[in-house]
Amino acid sequence: MSENRKLMSIREAIERYVNDGDVLYLGGFIQQEPFAAAHEIIRQGKRDLTLSKCAGMILADQMIGSGVIKHLITTFTWNPLPATAHCFVRALTSAVPQKIDVEEYSILALNLAYFAGSLDLPYIATKTLLGSGFDRERNKTGATNRLRFEKSPFTGERVCLIPPIKHDVGIIQVQRSDPYGNAQAWGMLGESRYGMQSCKKIIICAEEIVSSDVIMRDPNRTLVPAFRVSAVVEEPWGSHPSSMAGYYDMDWPYYACYERETRTEDRCEAFMKDWIYGVKDRKGYLELLGVKRLENLRPDVYMSGSVPYGRFTSHFRELNSNES
Amino acid sequence: MVGTQWPIVVSLLARHLHAPNLTICYEGGVVLGRTPDRIPLFTGDPVINASSVMLGNSFDTLGMVLHGGKADMALLPAASVDRYGNINTTCIGDYASPKIRFGGSGGACDFGSLAPKTMIILEHDRKRFPEKVDFITTPGYLCGKESRSQAGLKPGTGPYAVVTTLGLFEFDEDGEMMLTAYHPTASVQEVRENVQWELKVHEDVKQLIPPSAKELEILRHRVDPLGMYLRNARSLEGVSLHIMAGS
Repeated sequence: MSENRKLMSIREAIERYVNDGDVLYLGGFIQQEPFAAAHEIIRQGKRDLTLSKCAGMILADQMIGSGVIKHLITTFTWNPLPATAHCFVRALTSAVPQKIDVEEYSILALNLAYFAGSLDLPYIATKTLLGSGFDRERNKTGATNRLRFEKSPFTGERVCLIPPIKHDVGIIQVQRSDPYGNAQAWGMLGESRYGMQSCKKIIICAEEIVSSDVIMRDPNRTLVPAFRVSAVVEEPWGSHPSSMAGYYDMDWPYYACYERETRTEDRCEAFMKDWIYGVKDRKGYLELLGVKRLENLRPDVYMSGSVPYGRFTSHFRELNSNES
Repeated sequence: MVGTQWPIVVSLLARHLHAPNLTICYEGGVVLGRTPDRIPLFTGDPVINASSVMLGNSFDTLGMVLHGGKADMALLPAASVDRYGNINTTCIGDYASPKIRFGGSGGACDFGSLAPKTMIILEHDRKRFPEKVDFITTPGYLCGKESRSQAGLKPGTGPYAVVTTLGLFEFDEDGEMMLTAYHPTASVQEVRENVQWELKVHEDVKQLIPPSAKELEILRHRVDPLGMYLRNARSLEGVSLHIMAGS
């Protein structure tokens, strides 16, 4: 596939690759969350999505509040101040704006479910979750999940069996990608590697588009290789208000403001109108935030050293000379 | 393995005091290398990135370290904790139709299920000490030590201590919480009145030694000089935001 067919705007990527009713993975464990993509999904009014997001945070909260998802797969959903994620709580306690089903795991358990999904395993066994509220045999309230608790055929000990989770489409915001979708990320990666690998289609949003040479000079940093990627979007500041390692900090005052402005349904609607529906695209959102605010989020420069990978261009030269 | 909120403060304080070589791991795949440039506001705070010796996947810490049996201890916060050290950070009321809803497990269930010793740290409030939590987000001794191993969790693992603003609790041979010491500013009676069951009190219950001037100095000036936790500055209350459209 030529590079021009993968590089596109976030609007086009969402229109083409995210369908109503999809199981959608959004990457970024606390840091580097794909807010630009999430806001575009909300603007396009997608319906009945299953959102799979390990750290729900206020990104999941905004998607719940805007009514685009009906089923949430998560391990926790809160505002890291720490404070309540109000839309999440309203949906669960009073079905506002609509009832959502929640499928909850612990972080390790959800990582294992993604891992099983990536490898197409029928299930994976673990020793976490035993005895907890997620352990249905022991607790009548039982979580709405798909876990089973069995005896190991090898040792006889009690184990939790986790079935795979697979996604129709996954979106992640990374530091850099080449035009083909060889995407590199660094920072705290959480579940992202296996979350992405359990997706049929992948959309990469990158702070910067770089040449393939940049990628091949540091291949250990590649999170997803191009052959798995459907679309590549250049979207600087695409993770605001969350952070991007080396590029910008979390916008803490935004989180405090979000907490206050979403306490009631009415105020929440006004917030969404201003910050999501009221802007045409990410560029409009960034203009609303203002250059000064964004520049204040930049970190001090702190570069890693470079490492040698080495190329082998002269070895076996004598074989060539024999041939000629 | 260090959970979010007070455990962050406690683990960094320990590094400044008696445990300079303590290895601190967070659930996102972090192995900390030094005291971060500012106290992390939670375990995902990006200030952690350039203070780490390893930034990996959650599998690296929750998987290889914790599930692999290489962690010595877990520190956890809690919304509420019960008689057998079970923690609830999920909901009040029925799970399917909760009256009050909290964020959920995160890595807490993994910590409590797998760590050899779990220390639980929370502000003391009677509401947060029910006899039985509404939802076991993180298993303690369930309904007694035996029930924990019957559920399949490794014998010898489980809650080790509960540290609150009133006192220190440990667990007896049945896995029941027991007051072993109280702060000089509190009393046994006050602690009894602030749990919702008939509290066991150790026959040699002691008064805790107040923190020394040196410990307080380090806590206030080196661990949390901005008062993010000690004065709750991280709530950013009263901070002018200027981000609303048109403002």
